[in-house]
Amino acid sequence: MSANSWLATGNFYTTYKQEQKTFSTSLDRSFFTLFLVILFAWPLLFEMSNKNMLVIDNILIAVVAVMGLNLVTGFAGLISIGHAAFVGIGAYTVASFCRTIGDTHIIITHFWPLMIIVSGLVGAGFGAVVGLPALRLKHLYLAIATLSFQMIFQWVINFASFFNQGQTISVGRVFWVTGKVGRDDHYFFWYYIILVVVVLLGFGIRNLLKTRYGRSLIAVRDNDRAADAMGMNPGLTKVYAFALAGFFAGVAGALHAYVYRGVGFESFTLHESIGYLAMAIVGGLGTLNGSFWGPVAIKYLDLQMEHLSEAMGQYLPSGMNLTTAMKPFTFGLVIVLFLIYEPRGIANWWRIAKSYTKLWPFRY
Amino acid sequence: MAHLNILDVTLSFGGLKALSHVDMKIEPGLITSIIGPNGAGKTSMLNCISGFYHPTSGDIFYKDKKLTHASPHQVSNMGISRAFQNLELFSGLTVLDNLLLARHQHLKYSFLHAVFFYGKASRIEAENRYFVEGIIDFMELEPYRKSLVGNLSYGVQKKVEVARALTLAPDILLLDEPMAGMNQEEKEDIVRFVMDIQKERGITVVLVEHDLGVVMDISDKIYVLDFGEVIGSGTPEEIAQNPKVIEAYIGED
Repeated sequence: MSANSWLATGNFYTTYKQEQKTFSTSLDRSFFTLFLVILFAWPLLFEMSNKNMLVIDNILIAVVAVMGLNLVTGFAGLISIGHAAFVGIGAYTVASFCRTIGDTHIIITHFWPLMIIVSGLVGAGFGAVVGLPALRLKHLYLAIATLSFQMIFQWVINFASFFNQGQTISVGRVFWVTGKVGRDDHYFFWYYIILVVVVLLGFGIRNLLKTRYGRSLIAVRDNDRAADAMGMNPGLTKVYAFALAGFFAGVAGALHAYVYRGVGFESFTLHESIGYLAMAIVGGLGTLNGSFWGPVAIKYLDLQMEHLSEAMGQYLPSGMNLTTAMKPFTFGLVIVLFLIYEPRGIANWWRIAKSYTKLWPFRY
Repeated sequence: MAHLNILDVTLSFGGLKALSHVDMKIEPGLITSIIGPNGAGKTSMLNCISGFYHPTSGDIFYKDKKLTHASPHQVSNMGISRAFQNLELFSGLTVLDNLLLARHQHLKYSFLHAVFFYGKASRIEAENRYFVEGIIDFMELEPYRKSLVGNLSYGVQKKVEVARALTLAPDILLLDEPMAGMNQEEKEDIVRFVMDIQKERGITVVLVEHDLGVVMDISDKIYVLDFGEVIGSGTPEEIAQNPKVIEAYIGED
């Protein structure tokens, strides 16, 4: 190691333990810390309306869900078109507690961290079961199997009276150490909670990828024949990948239930599943930071399209209905453009930018 | 007692018999070669041993464990690893990651250790890295440690393939045509590695190879397959004299 870690021109590791560090240079680490500080500090500095805060909470929940989807689809290479259903499993775990013990029961309002973890575990359980076809099926056939889970989920929610036929099941307000979280602080409060969850889970994935549990996912994606010969059980690894994704989705679902203070089936439809998939693709499959870029980009686009169609609606005849068509149209267009021109997603831009700044001002 | 006992193995795909009544004994610590013309069933034999195919009839024993119906990961966990003929590397990963992957079964830490990456996981991964570095050193792959496998030349990829099989720390190493498509110099390199693997590391080697010169030079024992049947076995000298083998290779006169 050089005497001054800030001026080091390279990594001078002397042990293999040093090489395991998440941040390879002091600069990397301090940039990341700074970024985190900004994320935590900005709501204190700027006054945000409840509506905008909800949008941001929504993005962060999508980040949690997409991190899970990225594990199964990006790292393990198993396309899942039922991810919203897993998110729904998490949300409906909270909802079924609300239905049975009442939505203001102390377990719901005071032990919500426990509820979030339980929802994650239930999601993982369902993930493992839905992942079972992966023992036999591959590629598109497996994708169809996950699609069928999405259908079954929607059908069950819509027809079970226990789930209120898909109508909203309300979830009570939670308590923090300072007391009940009120209407004005609600989204503000959950912003911090979700942020903490995102950071914890992000580091979890980061660590996992350095170990056999992460490497086996990538091995199965790249070449499951070779993975088999290398002593990994490909079938089990795939089931485990689905369980992991289910856990993330379950956590995201529970957060969704708490943030919206209610659970209704329309947040977990096939449309949402495709949306998560789009976020993962646009962000960059098989990258950790892609799980952050994707939701931000897609949700931002959504918001802008809403503004644009509102503005255009004033000039177009109401019969044309162009405005409602515009959202799905741009959504589809963005995915197609990304698949053609940047299949590695926004994460690739990030990678390029990073390698550029590494060398700057030299060309190579 | 032989290390690996192949007893009366038959493998048929529909009407085609890829292997019929094959008996082989792989002795510990030796280089055993399997040769034969194209389509003789050499790779099928390796696939049967390594669990990718299961024999239609007959049995395969490793020491006293039966691996007739074991799946590939079970076979490799017993200590039999293989290098593929057609490169089956993880081409999007670096050489280092390819090798680290192969240590899967040797890394014993729990999922929770992995998620938080404290203590045990970190220590074992560092040891893992140390072990892999030994293999990189042994196979002379130092310059390529951090390059993506997909970008490397064919000869180097073949070396990585052998290195990866070696990283599993096997008792028996199955090599499927490690020298195919290589030039003289690269072949000599691989031959040197194969001999080192046997002598320095004490690993039993099963070699499937087309290059008869190489096979005759380094093998302790040779099995000759033709149309799925063993037509000759013995030391290189015996094989060179065997009229059936000469017929299969050169044809009748």
